[in-house]
Amino acid sequence: MGWLADPEIAKPIGMLIFFITFCLILFWVYGSRKRGEKLEEYKNIPLHDDDDDEVKKDKSNG
Amino acid sequence: MSATTLAAAEQYDYEIIKKFSVMAIVWAVVGMAVGLYIASELAWPFLNFDSPYFSFGRFRPVHTGAVIFGFGGSALFATSYYVVQRTCQARLFAPGLVSFTFWGWQAVIVLAAISYVLGYSQGREYAEMEWPIDILIELVWVSYMAIYIGTLMKRKQPHIYVANWFYLAFILATALLHTFNNLAVPVNLFSMKSYSLFSGVQDAMVQWWYGHNAVGFFLTAAFLGMMYYFVPKHAGRPVYSYRLSIVHFWALSFMYMWVGTHHLHWTALPDWASTLGATFSIMLLLPSWGGMINGIMTLSGAWDKLRTDPIMRFMIVALSFYGMSTFEGPLMALKDVNALSHYTDWTVGHVHSGALGWVAMISFGSMYHMIPRLWKTEMYSVKLINIHFWLATIGVLLYITAMWISGISQGLMWRAFDDYGNLQYSFVESVAAMHPFYVMRAIGGMFFLSGMLTMAYNVFQTIRQGVRAAEVESVRAATATA
Amino acid sequence: MSFKHEKIETNAGILLVFTMIAISIGGMVEIAPLFFMKDKTIEKVDGVRPYTPLESRGRDIYVREGCYLCHSQMIRPFRDEQLRYGHYSLAAESQYDHPFQWGSKRTGPDLARVGGKYSNEWQVQHLLSPRSVVPESVMPNYPWLLTTKLDVSDVGDRLRALRITGVPYSANQEEYQHNVKKFGEKVADTLVIADAQKNLVAQAQEGNYDGDRSSVSEMDALVAYLQVLGTMVDFSKVKPEDLVKFR
Repeated sequence: MGWLADPEIAKPIGMLIFFITFCLILFWVYGSRKRGEKLEEYKNIPLHDDDDDEVKKDKSNG
Repeated sequence: MSATTLAAAEQYDYEIIKKFSVMAIVWAVVGMAVGLYIASELAWPFLNFDSPYFSFGRFRPVHTGAVIFGFGGSALFATSYYVVQRTCQARLFAPGLVSFTFWGWQAVIVLAAISYVLGYSQGREYAEMEWPIDILIELVWVSYMAIYIGTLMKRKQPHIYVANWFYLAFILATALLHTFNNLAVPVNLFSMKSYSLFSGVQDAMVQWWYGHNAVGFFLTAAFLGMMYYFVPKHAGRPVYSYRLSIVHFWALSFMYMWVGTHHLHWTALPDWASTLGATFSIMLLLPSWGGMINGIMTLSGAWDKLRTDPIMRFMIVALSFYGMSTFEGPLMALKDVNALSHYTDWTVGHVHSGALGWVAMISFGSMYHMIPRLWKTEMYSVKLINIHFWLATIGVLLYITAMWISGISQGLMWRAFDDYGNLQYSFVESVAAMHPFYVMRAIGGMFFLSGMLTMAYNVFQTIRQGVRAAEVESVRAATATA
Repeated sequence: MSFKHEKIETNAGILLVFTMIAISIGGMVEIAPLFFMKDKTIEKVDGVRPYTPLESRGRDIYVREGCYLCHSQMIRPFRDEQLRYGHYSLAAESQYDHPFQWGSKRTGPDLARVGGKYSNEWQVQHLLSPRSVVPESVMPNYPWLLTTKLDVSDVGDRLRALRITGVPYSANQEEYQHNVKKFGEKVADTLVIADAQKNLVAQAQEGNYDGDRSSVSEMDALVAYLQVLGTMVDFSKVKPEDLVKFR
């Protein structure tokens, strides 16, 4: 495993890992329309939390 | 009617949020007043009064401690407890611990301030608290972490809203940074004095890894959490893009931790480390601006409210300053710019454009939104909010303009050569040249502090009015049932 | 892709672990090598030694008064700094500094090589009343340094604590011999913890930093510290090419 400590090898490997991870996140977030729609639904959570003197809504589906 | 009100009041723990909100305002007033005082000391040194207890060197940590940890910290405790309960639809976990976080944290701020004035300091910027106080911070922080995670676990809402991610990252990162930056050996068990476990270049690295990420997580990630809840909530519109917020979160959390070394450009720190810091600083512009755009676009359909709603104005100006200072930061992290800007007032100006323009403004906006809801009333005076907004904005602009001019002139004067290749200015000539700008900075601070006092008065009246209304309500409820 | 990302956002534990990983990597990559590759980080130069007990107490006062908030101790490798302050600072020069005091702001000038630049009398006068010698200065007056007697009671404990952090103050004969080999006998004698108080008073008497030999004031300690700053390395004996590779 000593070769991994060599900065000249560790640097490109590190770069590659981070870049792939970043691409995976991007793919997950923007890759599928269905997942995208589901994710965008979550943005309504703060607007659904009104409790003050308001009629209680069904909050089971957020 | 009274049954639903009771249910709502019992649903969440608001008492703790009220306490932290009030203390946030108290510490803001104290911290900014001390800030104004030390700014004046630099303009008029007689204000040091030949007294150890007023001297600039002991007073500055009182200022930074009170505003960052007192005001910023209390505002974060308050808003995070508010946001986590409301987005999880769950009451705070472990009420005993919750109360401990309040008293523990206030004790930390008071003890830190007293100990600085008495001359106890670790000599590490933004982490001057000596070891016994550090241990108390650690205890409070672990409790905070337990409460936050515990509340997330008992949530009724299946999804964890993104604001909580940012708060969580802030809590985790602060625990990590605080622990490693404060490793020290006390002189003995009964002595406040300790020596850092690390020395020289390693110590510098650890300290600025802490120092910059105190900015990155305490003063940025956490306040982004605040932004992701209060901006959409106040605008009455969901955040512009939830997917962007996810990318924003992961990129920001990952990249921030690399950039601390840009505080050590051209020093005895090995070049590879400061180059890494500079590279990541520039990349960090992308997630930062992603977040800013997300916030501004959230407000984009509500521009009309900007004319009528000063709270909205606080939020939009906060986001603008966030964008401005996250552009200025990477610029100053470039080695060639840093060669000029480092050690000068430009850095001080940059910090304050972030701290006053972004952190304080987004907190003001959020607290003006939250406080009337906590006390079930309305803000006492919208006009005073508006006055606060203008005082604060003028104050920040004066402050950062003064520091830009003085910082850049310092940098240029220090490196100026005459025709014979000698230094053109002695150091003290640069000190003398700064005087007008130090005065201007103090005036900017005065504006900002006046705004803060306006807010304190407005909030005090709001709370009074809320408490009175609640008393009337409870009397009426009692007579109705009797 | 079969990986259920939903788990990350719906499971607090997984979110926690992933966040922890994301925020840990940067620090580890930048900090750990500085400890494991010390020979590539800190230059090998002669002359750098731990502070004497008096200098060390002076340094405590420097930290106590927050001097680092206005004065840096880190000269950068630029021509103007070379002319104004002297040779750029080496990592080796702060290797015994717990904590480091490189600073981040120059409201006043850099102090990394202030040692020997001014007389003791000038330093004392400047600390008592900066504007009496530099009219444009904005530095506070520090009159209490001269009137406060230096607390020497726990100087041994202080050196012992520093020894735990890795500064080679000697607690036994073996360590003393090691110091003799490394720094020479004269320096090694000043690093003996058991003699700390005796050495401190002796240096204050001999140096007469505050102009009063009858007692040891905080001024004695602080001036002793200021006068040693940046003087340990003899740059006439150092080859620039040996230093450059550390940058």
